[in-house]
Amino acid sequence: MTFLTRRRLAGSAVAAATVLAGCAKDAPQDTFKPKGSNARTIDDLQRPLFYVAGAVGLIVFAAIGYSILRYKDRGQDMPKQTHGKTWLEVLLTVIPALILVGVGIPTVAAVFELADQKSECVVNVTGQQWWWEYDYSGTCGGVEITEPIVTSGELVIPTNTSVLLRITSRDVIHSYWIPALNGKRDAVPGRLQTLRLEADEPGIYVGQCTEFCGLSHARMRQAAVALNPADFQAWVDNQLEAYADNAPEADTLAAKGESTFIASCSRCHQVNELVKKDGTPVLAEPDLWVVSGAAPNLTNLMTRTAIGGWTFDLLTEDCREQLWNASPEEFGSLYLQGVWMNTDADADKPVCFDEATLRDWLRDAPAMKPNYSDPAKLDSTGGRTRGMPNLHLNETQIDELIAYLLERK
Amino acid sequence: MTTLELRSGSDPAERPMVTPTAALGMFRRPVAATGWKAWVFTVDHKKLGIMYGATAMFFFLLGGCEALLIRLQLAAPDNTVLSAGLYNEMFTMHATTMIFLFVMPMSAAFANYFLPLQVGARDVAFPRLNALGFWLFLFGGIFLNTSWILGGAPDGGWFMYSPNSSALFSPSHGVDFWTLGLQITGIASLVGAINLIVTVINMRAPGMTLMRMPVFAWMQLVVQLLLLFAIPVITVALFLLSFQRNFGAAFFDVEQGADPLLWQHLFWIFGHPEVYILILPSFGIISEVLPTFARKPLFGYKFVVFSGAAIGFLGWGVWAHHMFASGLGPVSVAVFSISTMLIAIPTGVKICNWTLTLWGGKLWFTTAMNFAIGTIVLFTIGGLSGVTHAAAPADTQQTDTYHIVAHFHYVIVGGGVMGLFAGLYYWWPKIFGKTLSETLGKWNFWLMFIGVNLTFGPMHILGMQGQPRRMVVWPKKLTGDGFFNLGFWNRVASVGAFTIATGVLLFVINVFRTARKSEKAALDPWDARTLEWMTSNPPKEHNFDAIPTVHALDEFFHRKYEEVESADGIRLSRIKTAEDVHAELNANPDAHIHLPSPSYWPIVLAFALPVIAYGVIFNLTLSIIGAVILLFATFGWVLEPSVAGEDEYDPPPPPPALPPADDDGSPKELASVG
Repeated sequence: MTFLTRRRLAGSAVAAATVLAGCAKDAPQDTFKPKGSNARTIDDLQRPLFYVAGAVGLIVFAAIGYSILRYKDRGQDMPKQTHGKTWLEVLLTVIPALILVGVGIPTVAAVFELADQKSECVVNVTGQQWWWEYDYSGTCGGVEITEPIVTSGELVIPTNTSVLLRITSRDVIHSYWIPALNGKRDAVPGRLQTLRLEADEPGIYVGQCTEFCGLSHARMRQAAVALNPADFQAWVDNQLEAYADNAPEADTLAAKGESTFIASCSRCHQVNELVKKDGTPVLAEPDLWVVSGAAPNLTNLMTRTAIGGWTFDLLTEDCREQLWNASPEEFGSLYLQGVWMNTDADADKPVCFDEATLRDWLRDAPAMKPNYSDPAKLDSTGGRTRGMPNLHLNETQIDELIAYLLERK
Repeated sequence: MTTLELRSGSDPAERPMVTPTAALGMFRRPVAATGWKAWVFTVDHKKLGIMYGATAMFFFLLGGCEALLIRLQLAAPDNTVLSAGLYNEMFTMHATTMIFLFVMPMSAAFANYFLPLQVGARDVAFPRLNALGFWLFLFGGIFLNTSWILGGAPDGGWFMYSPNSSALFSPSHGVDFWTLGLQITGIASLVGAINLIVTVINMRAPGMTLMRMPVFAWMQLVVQLLLLFAIPVITVALFLLSFQRNFGAAFFDVEQGADPLLWQHLFWIFGHPEVYILILPSFGIISEVLPTFARKPLFGYKFVVFSGAAIGFLGWGVWAHHMFASGLGPVSVAVFSISTMLIAIPTGVKICNWTLTLWGGKLWFTTAMNFAIGTIVLFTIGGLSGVTHAAAPADTQQTDTYHIVAHFHYVIVGGGVMGLFAGLYYWWPKIFGKTLSETLGKWNFWLMFIGVNLTFGPMHILGMQGQPRRMVVWPKKLTGDGFFNLGFWNRVASVGAFTIATGVLLFVINVFRTARKSEKAALDPWDARTLEWMTSNPPKEHNFDAIPTVHALDEFFHRKYEEVESADGIRLSRIKTAEDVHAELNANPDAHIHLPSPSYWPIVLAFALPVIAYGVIFNLTLSIIGAVILLFATFGWVLEPSVAGEDEYDPPPPPPALPPADDDGSPKELASVG
């Protein structure tokens, strides 16, 4: 081996090391950081594959590099006109075939393991332009869900519980992906497909829609939030709390906000058990106004940490960082406090609440998240929008709505 | 060789009339040998090859600008260079342009120019169809791109998944331009495929058995067969989508009981063979370039040929690996996972054989050779990352992330485009009689090679660390920590894109500088091995004065060199120069060479199709006008005389030399049916 070849090989090793060291630390959607059994099954298959591929690559590059240096034209004789060696050809066909048998067997085993539908909790997941809806009922990890819970953006699950998602779509194809917990599963209209998630520890595991789904595909995000059984029970109890317990007191800003909400928002957005002044229930009819026929249920809006397809944070940046980086032990209580994290009991406004984001959203949602809600361009849909339109609310109405929405916790 | 039997009688009076001639007045064949008419009405495979190449290069620059805009948008978090709508149009058109309007026609350019030369033919089997193919490609490409100014480009991605591509979810006419434009270029590919298959099967020089064919000809044969079977599938899919969007059909409409996955299956049954359609021409080119500059034959010729054919077959059984996340069920997923791994075997065989071709050679590092070796290296990376997502569970993490973008750009740019550039540098002196500057060429190569690695290398990291594709913005909060965070790698990728662009710019400069220089290329500048070098640079219109008889693979090389036994074993000794070989071959030229005459009708017929297509989008009256043009052109095509009358040339050509009598006394005739 010449000095040059050795140097080249050393160079390749350094290059490979650079690539490995060159990865981002703590990227939230890193596929090499499994946090649950399903993702670990994939990781156990994927990691060795990268090592094998890397090794084969290095052998090929070494052979090419050696040829380049060794057989450069230095005025040597014309080479022998050899047309090949059959034994070598056969060997070089058999070796890759054997490697692939070695890869194929664990692949097939993993495919069938991941397809198993065993579950201790079922959540219906529905994609639409450009957000995810979750629908819980029955028992989830031993916690009885007495009435359906409908929420969006954040999928809250108990830890160490095999959760089976039943995924479909109301319009185009989307794909549900929480990299730390499992691979992707497409949400196809007209089909019900399953994906199993299981998280080892409490924490927030972020993901996003990965099947191109139109204009705001980049702003269709989601997260899975894993809570320990006690915290999960608390979360369920809170979701099922009666509206009356959170209803605004008379003559407050929030009470005006309730009227504004009924006037401006409730034709699409449901708040469970909300009633008009005359006592009749306020029922949203999003199928009349939105192409997908659905809009996020806002009954417990403030228990979530982001809005607008889980793209725009309700938490200020510091508080979000605090929550995302919380240890498994402290995560649950922080999450259940939501925007009231770090806030004294007697404070009138939560310190972690990013009010500006919600204000901007209420003022002009299409400016933040491109959608199809311009009335001039809705001929082909009979006037129905895809995404939230600009409601032309004035600043007073926005103040009222924020006061009202802050109590949807 | 296609001989027009009807015309081979020795007595002109006995020849039956096969077509109406000048008696019908308007139906004449154009005769201009110079000026624009010589190009617009040509049926010469070499002129059409150049036109294919120049047009494809234009679309390459266009698609490249689209790529640069995409990388500008992604150079910083939450960037605002492009709006969400424009970004979606941009990545749709970048992919569509690069695949359908650059790589495919560029490989068609090489096939057109070099297949007949490599198999020792005077033209392709159906010269007018060849011209039709080019004009359909050009008009289809222009039609598709006029969508930018006529209400918006297609915005559903090049895969155009239903139902996002339906009129409800993509209300502009962009998708209609896409379906109809690709339909037009699809016809171009189909007629080209039939033409080239017949040429290779029927028109090879005497002695050129299939197993003596150059690997480029073999790979093109496989590609044309793939096209022949793949294009009809996308044609059907495009018609279904067109009818759904324009005429109220419901092929993919869930509410009427259809299943959107039907589109995915149809698209990928076309789409996966398409990948091999993109890559095999480049494999063919480097299988010519590597032996030439290693000065030894391709290692394992038979294995390379058969692995190419095997890829052609296996390529039909892997389409659902694009759909591992769509919910096919574990049995289908396992089967397609295994079949995808199988295809890695013939691909690996090729990489090993190319490497072993270098081994023990006498390597001459020209720009073409650099590009060829670069192709092996980059394609190996792309192939190996491909194996990582053949394992379906791993693919469910990787699919629709930048890891996939990295993979297929290493394959298509690294394996495909780099190979096409090897072909450009290698064959430029053959096509234009001048050699491209090697100095600029080396800069071109290194900038592109480094640029590809800078652009697409970091995308492996981006994808595996969770950045999905087709996102107009990537938020800062997902980039992670550390110096090498995802923001850093996104910036590196953007710098890489401009590095590639600089390399391509140098190529363009090289072309213009070479065109202006007066120095002519040597007859055999690379000491080449195959038949296309056994004629002048550029070749005469009829390619060969005398069709050579082939005795071996690498015929030209064997005429120049001989193996002699000496004290220290068998040595290779040069017995003739290229000039000697040419002189020897041309000493006894074929008499009575009939070439197909140019024709007015291919361009007219091709023009009718975009007219019909605009009509479908805007006003059906226009379609009727287009249909009338189509009908008129078809009649013209059928009724024009098979050759121009000799008195129509100005001045009339000199009377042909008396044909040398063959043993049976009949003169040789070589006329192609158009």
